[in-house]
Amino acid sequence: MSGASFTDTEFMICLSARSIEDSSTVFVGYGMPQIAAILAQRLYAPGIVQVYEYGAIGPDVATPFRRNMMADARNSRRSFAWTTMNPMFAYASAGFIDYGVLGAAQIDPFGNINSTVIGGTYERPKVRFTGSGGGNEVASLCWRTIILTEHEKRRFVPTLDYMTSPGYLDGTEGARERAGLPRGTGPHRVVTSIAMYDFDPATRRMRIVGTREGCDAKAVCDAMMFEPLVADRVETLAAPTADELRVLREDIDPDRVVIGRA
Amino acid sequence: MEVIDSGIGEVRLSDVDEAREWMREKKSRKLVDKVTDEKTAVERFVHDGAYLSYDLSSMVRGPMSLEREIVRQGRKDLWIAAKFTLLDTTLLLAGGCLSKIDVGFAGLGRTLFAAIEEGRIKTIDWSNGTLALRHLAGAMGVPFLPTRALLGTDTFRRSGAKSVRDPFTGKTVCLVPAVHPDVAIIHVNQADRYGNARVFGPSIAPLETAMASRRVIISTEELIDVEEIRRNPGRTTIPYFVVDAVVVAPFGAHPGTVPGLYTYDAGNLDEFFAARDDAAMRRYLDKYVYGVSSHQEYLDLIGADRLAALREAERIREGYYT
Repeated sequence: MSGASFTDTEFMICLSARSIEDSSTVFVGYGMPQIAAILAQRLYAPGIVQVYEYGAIGPDVATPFRRNMMADARNSRRSFAWTTMNPMFAYASAGFIDYGVLGAAQIDPFGNINSTVIGGTYERPKVRFTGSGGGNEVASLCWRTIILTEHEKRRFVPTLDYMTSPGYLDGTEGARERAGLPRGTGPHRVVTSIAMYDFDPATRRMRIVGTREGCDAKAVCDAMMFEPLVADRVETLAAPTADELRVLREDIDPDRVVIGRA
Repeated sequence: MEVIDSGIGEVRLSDVDEAREWMREKKSRKLVDKVTDEKTAVERFVHDGAYLSYDLSSMVRGPMSLEREIVRQGRKDLWIAAKFTLLDTTLLLAGGCLSKIDVGFAGLGRTLFAAIEEGRIKTIDWSNGTLALRHLAGAMGVPFLPTRALLGTDTFRRSGAKSVRDPFTGKTVCLVPAVHPDVAIIHVNQADRYGNARVFGPSIAPLETAMASRRVIISTEELIDVEEIRRNPGRTTIPYFVVDAVVVAPFGAHPGTVPGLYTYDAGNLDEFFAARDDAAMRRYLDKYVYGVSSHQEYLDLIGADRLAALREAERIREGYYT
């Protein structure tokens, strides 16, 4: 949103940082998810254990954040353990990983996400993205998935061009378990630049639970290509605090590699 | 076992007994000196049409001196496993070496995505985890391994996986087939001349990739004595009889980092990222790949002062060398 004293990315990072419980294990990837986890550690949940697909368990990630730092010495320092990818996804599959934090190019009403192709055909897509990476494993195997995405209308589609990673699949009761995915897993929150959603337990559809100041549920719905559910009580999502912005801008990402400039 | 659903992705299957027999016949258990250079190792072991696997990526402990040599020699029609890949796919693609990518993470760079969008290269989408698991299956000598990922998605449908009913519990589970790459290229911190190799720090699947592959080229920052290996065997990641060639390549991961030893060359990476079309990428290759004839010439081009500065700038050694 223009005119704000913080960026959309800062808003999403702060919201997700506040929604991760202390002393939980969090599967994160490069960029926004990683910075959200670091911010949470610094301000709210010092006991968070960051877990990376490249084999680091619980690093005390060095800041300032640098471009390309994924898997380097500053990313990995002071971990509890260093291992490799197969054991990392085994921890997730065995039930040890509480949260996964993922981005999405497209998302549907049941929290399924696309990070592979948009438009055209699979063989000749209009736009190609990086693909799953470890996203499919994270969305399949972690207990709760938090999905972060910029709020653009075209990203919220009734039907994905391609389902890279699973949410609640077709939304029917038990769909994940029937497909063979671990029981009791699935998307937990969707955090965007203007709203926060949970998933209605009865229908497994995205449900607005909060909106950014100056933005009501109707404005959020107008900026989507499907109609989400709206919770009985929609809270106003607090803007990033001065403390959060100071830690983000002075300590974690002073070069504004991920958070950008307001 | 009842097959419930099958992905449509192309898979090159290997017979487990044929793979075992290869390991018996082609992998000598003798302690023989395997030290060679990039040029000879790539000539001998990387062939047109090969399935190639590497560990980690262009950014971190990637086998970049070997990747550049593959491009320099103009290998064609490679099929690669892009598990945790960054610039590697772009480099090999720009060199005209690639025809298929098993995608975990496709990589970075406009030239790569443009090639996919224009249909010049074939992708078969998996995920990082399932590609790593396929290497583990290959390493174990079993035809497949089960996983609870991929299920229910287009990633499953585009892959070569199958879902089956677990014969023990009746639940649905996903099976991914073993991969036996024709050749693996793996950059390590230290190795002896027989191929006993040490990787320091977290990584993707160096042992699985080496064990699964028919040929294994190790490039190493440092050549150490076998006595040093024997003094601290817990540090050995890959034992010698898995390895076919040892290339001594200091700064072999440049422009990426070897954690604990040297940091990234941010300026050089920026040059790479700035090459957003085929012509610009060609200029990068002309300068850094075709314009030199060996890794040593490449290092001379980068310059000793700059390399020393990258070593100096890597402040963290804890956990790697201490």
